[in-house]
Amino acid sequence: MAKADSNLSFILNKPHDVTFEERPKPKIQSPHDVLVAINYTGICGSDVHYWEEGRIGSFILKAPMVLGHESAGTIVEVGSAVKSVKVGDRIALEPGTPCRRCTPCLAGHYNLCPEMRFAASPPIDGTLAGYYTSPEDFCYKLPEHVSLQEGALIEPLAVAVHIVKQAKIKPGQSVVVMGAGPVGLLCCAVAKAFGASTVVSVDIQPARLEFAAAYAATHTFTPERVSAEENAARLLKESGLEGGADAVIDASGAEPSIQTSIHVVRRGGVYVQGGMGKTDITFPIMELCIKEVTAKGSFRYGSGDYKLAVELVATGKVNVKKLITGTVRFEEAEQAFKDVKGGKGIKMLIAGPNEK
Amino acid sequence: MSIAEKNLALFLLGPGNALIGESPYPTITDEHDIIIRIAYVGVCGSDVSFWTKGGIGQKVDPSRPLIMGHEASGTVHEIGSAVSSLKVGDNVAIEPGLPCRRCLPCKGGRYNLCSQMLFAADPPFSHGTLRKYFKLAEDFCYKLPQFLSLEEGVLVEPLAVAVHVCRLAEIGLGQDVVVFGSGTIGLLCAVVSKSMGAQKIIAADVNASRLEFSRQFADTGIYKPETNDTSEDIARKIKKIHNLSKGADTVLEATGIATCIGAGIHVLKKGGTFIQAGLGKPEIQFPITTLSEKEMTMKGSFRYGAGDYELALHLLESKKVPSLSQLISSVSAFENTTEAWERTRKGAGIKNLIRGPQG
Repeated sequence: MAKADSNLSFILNKPHDVTFEERPKPKIQSPHDVLVAINYTGICGSDVHYWEEGRIGSFILKAPMVLGHESAGTIVEVGSAVKSVKVGDRIALEPGTPCRRCTPCLAGHYNLCPEMRFAASPPIDGTLAGYYTSPEDFCYKLPEHVSLQEGALIEPLAVAVHIVKQAKIKPGQSVVVMGAGPVGLLCCAVAKAFGASTVVSVDIQPARLEFAAAYAATHTFTPERVSAEENAARLLKESGLEGGADAVIDASGAEPSIQTSIHVVRRGGVYVQGGMGKTDITFPIMELCIKEVTAKGSFRYGSGDYKLAVELVATGKVNVKKLITGTVRFEEAEQAFKDVKGGKGIKMLIAGPNEK
Repeated sequence: MSIAEKNLALFLLGPGNALIGESPYPTITDEHDIIIRIAYVGVCGSDVSFWTKGGIGQKVDPSRPLIMGHEASGTVHEIGSAVSSLKVGDNVAIEPGLPCRRCLPCKGGRYNLCSQMLFAADPPFSHGTLRKYFKLAEDFCYKLPQFLSLEEGVLVEPLAVAVHVCRLAEIGLGQDVVVFGSGTIGLLCAVVSKSMGAQKIIAADVNASRLEFSRQFADTGIYKPETNDTSEDIARKIKKIHNLSKGADTVLEATGIATCIGAGIHVLKKGGTFIQAGLGKPEIQFPITTLSEKEMTMKGSFRYGAGDYELALHLLESKKVPSLSQLISSVSAFENTTEAWERTRKGAGIKNLIRGPQG
């Protein structure tokens, strides 16, 4: 049981080998930094992936690392130059610190900074601990009526905001979202907030689709084990989207979904790759060419995304509470990982070690 | 390790009131800092406003003398421990504004709009480049290619202004462009437009010798408005003389003068783009209904931002713009700074330079 003012940390040593360790409380290094007491942390597919495989692409776990990056917390200490937040403020934490000096940073694409220090991407420690330091401009104050649990959902919501912005969704447009996990569901909700009038949620799990229909989708679709073209044709027919969807978002990473996406999107439409699955797949390149499709990647979140995410929750345009399946005590973190791996629920939160 | 050295500087105390004094040798406070030995500083129209009126907007105060100068080149004198792209002795062009890097505009890629921007020669406390040593961050110093002299290095700053203007305008292949003003900025807008593929480039100015220079240096068509020409007259005549029957695709305004701005709106084609770079009176008479009817896009342009200095240097290195040494009309000793300002004030020469302190 963690003592008060604990910096108990949930550490991945190697795949499937996690331990709890009381680490020294971090210290503020810069006058622009704040110290955050972590209240709640959500678990993402990427956290589970590191726990299972110890790597994602070229990010390889070489030394023990604290997990977790989707967090909300309370400011307990501020550096001497901090102006935008004060001790006691409840905040959503944007867990990546860019260098601010390289070409992508100066051009407004700090999510693409080659020197990005991102929580729980090796070797940078994550937020599943008692405390975490952050520059003040990566802490977003939560309004009074937004809970800290909702604050932990701001991170995946910001991912969805970034994806939907890449898709350039405008009022009245149609959007198809492949995958009804947390990011897919949030993409549906954000697309709606951006004014999309048709939002189709696609998944192979009936329970997820049922949830999507009640949550933010106007239509749902269950693909079959047929060709991508056949699935696409039936999807468009059932959703009333003859001619194709204005935008298609993949939030699954699954090869058949990606292939179907290119057949679903209309001529001149936009396709955004948000989901991460296999590194290389078979891709319908001819279709992309003939239909003059714009295909874009989407990676984490950038300028203005967290701010918009907080506003969407604050104004009630997106409900993140509904995605919270449950909250477990910090000591039960490993079980929570197993539950997420097993596909239990939508978003599990882990309380910080100092939560009562 | 930094050795404190004498650091002569040129201070402005108020209109017509300047003196040379001592400034503390800058100390490296961040591992990315660079200290530069200033070689040359250029004179800009804004310097003239400071010299004659004490400033633009916020004025200089005798209780807070301000070191002037912002267009500069120099040699790297000292570097912080994390500096990797430059070494002591390198010749550099200076981007003289340090943004905060943390606010929304900074993180959104428009650091020129940073509200905490520390720009050289900005009252009350942001001191400029007219001194022996000047400190800035590594990513705002650009190594000059071998063939570019330190004198020409000063011109990278106004060239970056022109690059910023032309990028905002999205000048593309085959476009017809009209540039109002053939001072340094107007001339550089013309050559940058050409490098971006503009077809017809017409320069308009009231000064015949500047227009002649524009024809020779920037290969532009020219137009000299007559004394009583209205904005509509100017636009009509430019279109007629230069066969722009539908009007110009793009207008780059580098004077700030109401008549020119109006002429620009009238000479623009339907759906065209107008960029306001020139700074004149804060408020003017403006043909607003024409803006609506033509469904034109009008944008302000302010200094330079991400990628502008890089593109400016690329244009020079690849010779996509002509050598800028032709724009340098004079070089004054540091002790004669106010003479250089006077020269520019009177309209003598195109770009007048001041040599950095030698002692």
